[in-house]
Amino acid sequence: MVQIVNRIKTNIYDILLKRQEANLSYKKEYLVIKTEEVNEKRAKNIAKTELLFNHKLAKYETHAGIASSYINELIREKEEIINKQAKLDTRVLKQKIKQAKSDDLVANLNKKIADVEVNRLKRISDAKVKYLNPNPSESDKALYDNQRKELEDLKQERIKKINLKADLHIEKINKQTQASIEKLSASISSFKEKLIKLEEQMTDKNTVVLEKDLILSLRNLSMHFGGLKAVDDLSFDVKKGEIFGLIGPNGAGKTTVFNCITRFYKPTSGNIYFNNVNGKTVHLNEMKVHNVIKEGIVRTFQNVELVWELNILDNLLVAAHSSYRSSFFHHLVHSRLTKREEVIYTKKAMKILNDLDLTPYTYAFPIGLPYGVLKKVELARTLMSNPKLIILDEPAAGLNDTETKELSEFIKKIKDEYDVTIFLVEHDMGLVMSICDTVCAISFGKKLDIGTPKQIQSSKVVQEAYLGGE
Amino acid sequence: MTYETKMKNTYKNKLKSMVKHPYFGFFVITIIMLLVQVLRVAGVDVANQTLRAFGKTMIYIIVGLGFSILLGFGGLASLGTAGFVGLGAYLLGYFTNNKGYSVFLIILITIVVAIIVGTVVGFISLRIEGMYLAIITLAIAEIINEVFTNWTAFSNGIDGMIVNNRIVLFNKYIVLDPNVVFVAISLALLLMMIITFNIMKSPTGRALLAMRNSTSAAQAMGISIFKYRLLAFIVSTVYAMLAGVLYLTYIPSTFPVPGDWTLNLSLLILAAVIVGGSRSIYGIIMGTFLIFGFDLAVLSNRNNFGGYFVEHPEISIMLNGVLIILVIMFYRGGLIRLVNTVIAFIKRLFLKLKNKWKEYRYGPDSE
Amino acid sequence: MGAFWLDFGIASAILFVAYNIFKIFFLKYFKNQAKVKSRVINLIVFLLIIYTFVIVYQTAQEKFGDRALAYMILQFINQIPNIASLALATTAIVLIYKTSTTTNFAQSMMATFGAYSAAKAVQYIGANYQWTTTTTVIVALFAGSFVAFLLGVFIDTVIIRYSKDKTPIGKQMITMGLVIILMGLMPMIFGFNSSNNPLVIPQLFPATEKVPLTFLNTWGIIEMQLSMTKHSLYILIFSVFLLVLLFSLLRFTKWGLGVRATASNERVASMMGVNTKLITALSWGIAGFLGGVAAIIKAPTDINPALMVSTQVNGFVAAVLGSFTSFSGPLIASILIPLLQGLMVSLVGNWNFTVVYAIILAFVLIKPEGLFGKKVDKKV
Repeated sequence: MVQIVNRIKTNIYDILLKRQEANLSYKKEYLVIKTEEVNEKRAKNIAKTELLFNHKLAKYETHAGIASSYINELIREKEEIINKQAKLDTRVLKQKIKQAKSDDLVANLNKKIADVEVNRLKRISDAKVKYLNPNPSESDKALYDNQRKELEDLKQERIKKINLKADLHIEKINKQTQASIEKLSASISSFKEKLIKLEEQMTDKNTVVLEKDLILSLRNLSMHFGGLKAVDDLSFDVKKGEIFGLIGPNGAGKTTVFNCITRFYKPTSGNIYFNNVNGKTVHLNEMKVHNVIKEGIVRTFQNVELVWELNILDNLLVAAHSSYRSSFFHHLVHSRLTKREEVIYTKKAMKILNDLDLTPYTYAFPIGLPYGVLKKVELARTLMSNPKLIILDEPAAGLNDTETKELSEFIKKIKDEYDVTIFLVEHDMGLVMSICDTVCAISFGKKLDIGTPKQIQSSKVVQEAYLGGE
Repeated sequence: MTYETKMKNTYKNKLKSMVKHPYFGFFVITIIMLLVQVLRVAGVDVANQTLRAFGKTMIYIIVGLGFSILLGFGGLASLGTAGFVGLGAYLLGYFTNNKGYSVFLIILITIVVAIIVGTVVGFISLRIEGMYLAIITLAIAEIINEVFTNWTAFSNGIDGMIVNNRIVLFNKYIVLDPNVVFVAISLALLLMMIITFNIMKSPTGRALLAMRNSTSAAQAMGISIFKYRLLAFIVSTVYAMLAGVLYLTYIPSTFPVPGDWTLNLSLLILAAVIVGGSRSIYGIIMGTFLIFGFDLAVLSNRNNFGGYFVEHPEISIMLNGVLIILVIMFYRGGLIRLVNTVIAFIKRLFLKLKNKWKEYRYGPDSE
Repeated sequence: MGAFWLDFGIASAILFVAYNIFKIFFLKYFKNQAKVKSRVINLIVFLLIIYTFVIVYQTAQEKFGDRALAYMILQFINQIPNIASLALATTAIVLIYKTSTTTNFAQSMMATFGAYSAAKAVQYIGANYQWTTTTTVIVALFAGSFVAFLLGVFIDTVIIRYSKDKTPIGKQMITMGLVIILMGLMPMIFGFNSSNNPLVIPQLFPATEKVPLTFLNTWGIIEMQLSMTKHSLYILIFSVFLLVLLFSLLRFTKWGLGVRATASNERVASMMGVNTKLITALSWGIAGFLGGVAAIIKAPTDINPALMVSTQVNGFVAAVLGSFTSFSGPLIASILIPLLQGLMVSLVGNWNFTVVYAIILAFVLIKPEGLFGKKVDKKV
């Protein structure tokens, strides 16, 4: 009886934990975004105040003949306009010269060009005088000093006010969010503790608790299609943080195995256990396909299954779908939550695209992109949901040697940076042997051998199956 | 940057951001529609038929918007749409005349019924593959039409429902003035366009597209096919039934007859959405105007083409069929793609001409 | 009528519970669970249909006493033209589905086109020759159906052949476009039905010429004297002949083999030397022919564009019910559906169509593969 209650408790904690983690990550991002917004606004307001100050002071600077940077800027702008006009006039005159028929006209036009240049210089010096009094009087200078002090004080006051307001705002946001973040973090860690304790106490025969260093465990998995035994009593364990490879000749049942793991097929018998994002052991047999991603398992597809109507960035955003907190009704009215979440996940997608060297393709559509790029995008998609286990279905299919090498580099990089376990199904022995920590070989649905790449390479059983008995 | 230049820039930026805002186009279109009505009220001789055509077309656009969510985003073909529109119209007529409910209550009832019907059809769609789904929706449309014909207490059967051109507002019967209703329809269209746009660009829209492309990949990414198929059907049914309610308020002198809501209308709506471009709001507007508006305003007018098209209504019908086949076989993007291509072409041409003129007037750029 | 639904509901509930009990306790002992499940569901449906017959019989007994059985047989006889027409139309639909992998929404229009041509032929013959009605109708039948055949070939050659790479829904929409085109084309070519342009197809024999079904009496089934119109009898014989011919062709000839090969994989079939172009064209032509016959035998009729619309809907529903993957399934469904619709009149009056459709919808929900289809496990 106690066991049943414990089981129910772990389930509830698991669900609560997932929701709270989602809330926590959203709140953290919200803090960052909101702070950014406030700082942006603050900078804008300060710039506006500075500009206004300069603008007001300019009058006095003009009278007092002070060539401040603002005055120089005014003069420069005026100069630009004058120069542009002069250039245009010169061009027109030069064009007329080309079309001119008589020498007289040419001489006339040349004179006009010289006039334009003279005019230009005159207007520039006029502007300089207009904005900079060449003969300031003492009273002007005194007035300028006075006003400068006054305006400077005013400006400092305003800037202080702006900063105060912004800082207060940030403080308020921080207080509000930090309080709930702390509460959430505390509750999350307490739930996690309780969950771990409960898992340790599970002595019920019906509940299986995986060891902490394992992430996936297949126990006596069988998949029969009518009379065909695609997978026959297969068992193996995948350790956390390793790169695990599944190899076997065509038709050995590799695809069937991980279709069972990802719940596209219902196994005929056997059990699959997974250590999910919260550390709880989940019995995968009872999951629905679209809930698997919430436990922390993602997969790629052998045929590139991207959404052709959306660009690459949007394709990545689709992959984050399970993390979105906004509901359909939020989307109907394009609520603030929707807007903010789009910003958050767009940032995340950009970072992932950057890590995989895909930035030039961000806004491109998948149609027409090279196959290797599309495969990388599939890989990038898997990272969007913070998975714990990534299943790659023949990732090197269709890639040449260079691309395969690049791919293995990326796989290793992903494993290190994002702290995930990788489960590979692959034909390319080079790739498998070079990056996998553990390799399992199967044939006709049965396990042949499991071990490190070196062990598999020298295993007699495997050699027989691949090369035929001797 | 100096103060004056900055101020100038800010105004320019504000104007630019307003024009670039995605809702701007919708407002423009609504204003154009309202303009037609305003002209008529101001005394300009706008033919009554043209005005009616605009009004009817706007209603069909609303149906088309819902249909595009279903077909363009969800990839689900449904031939029962006309039946749903009819159901909305009948609901309004029945509850206004027989029960005297306020029009707001009727709208609420319509939405609830639409959700129920959409859920049923959605459930069915989960069990049946895309190609057979069209057939099943056809059967559903037949059932709905049979209900219209046989349940005389509700619909008055093939004699048609007697509509007294009135709705109930705040407990009083108010006779409807077509001009006022026109304005209401324009505003409803604006609202629907904005909502549809929001759905299309939101994570929901992306999820629907993912589901359309590959159910397996979508499920692997956490998109529940169950939830989103249901959602697609519910949304499109709500749109269709609300359009039906609007239809009856605008066309008061029709007696809704079961024969109005058959496969013909569903096929025409399908044509409008496909020919215009099934994923773009502007495309649907153009497609609906081409298929419905053109026919209603131009071809049905006895004064145009010597009434030839009035004598031979089959020709315009045939043209619609030809359009569907041509678009599907050769130009899947529809009208919106054509318009976008033309606009891009004109922009490039304009730029080229501008540069050429500059060179001609001012000579080659020496810098 | 309330009693019927109550009894039907109780029977369905009992069978549902029995099915679930079976599923929970006995299904594990069978090797091929899916097949057994589907067989059990079929059995249940069969029982329910029998039960419906029983209830209708009981209701008829209340109304007609001893002549209840005669009433039911009369219903069947009355439905024979509909059944024949539907069987032909459904077979045409499945044929096109198998060869072009698309549901042909334009089937009814192709059939009506044939009917229009036949009616024109009747007009022409009546004006220029002094043949009997029977001869006229027979000649018009073949002429009209042949025109429909040509139309089918034309549609395939000109349009469908070039749409092979479109998505299935795209191909469906092309047929929907065809519906619209043909719907407008027919009045344009043939004109409207009016007094100076009578587009009517009479029956083979006037309705008064009946064939007494004495075997029913001599076999002691019923006492009443029932008869069937000569027209119904002859079209029944003709339809059966056509269907048997078609099935034999499919089964035993090279063409039939080609059709089945093209149906399963067109590209591979053409690589194997099957002339897929000819086969699809012929299939569309034959589908048109069958449709034309189906339309014409519904006489006496005034021809209008919506002539075959309800038959087509019934045909599609029959094809879904019997599953598109076979020919025999839809055939059986196309016999069942008009029969049930005819019988239901005594129970639910005008609602017979709705009730039958609703029941079929519910069935398709439970068993999407239809009565005789096979569930296909998709490879991911």
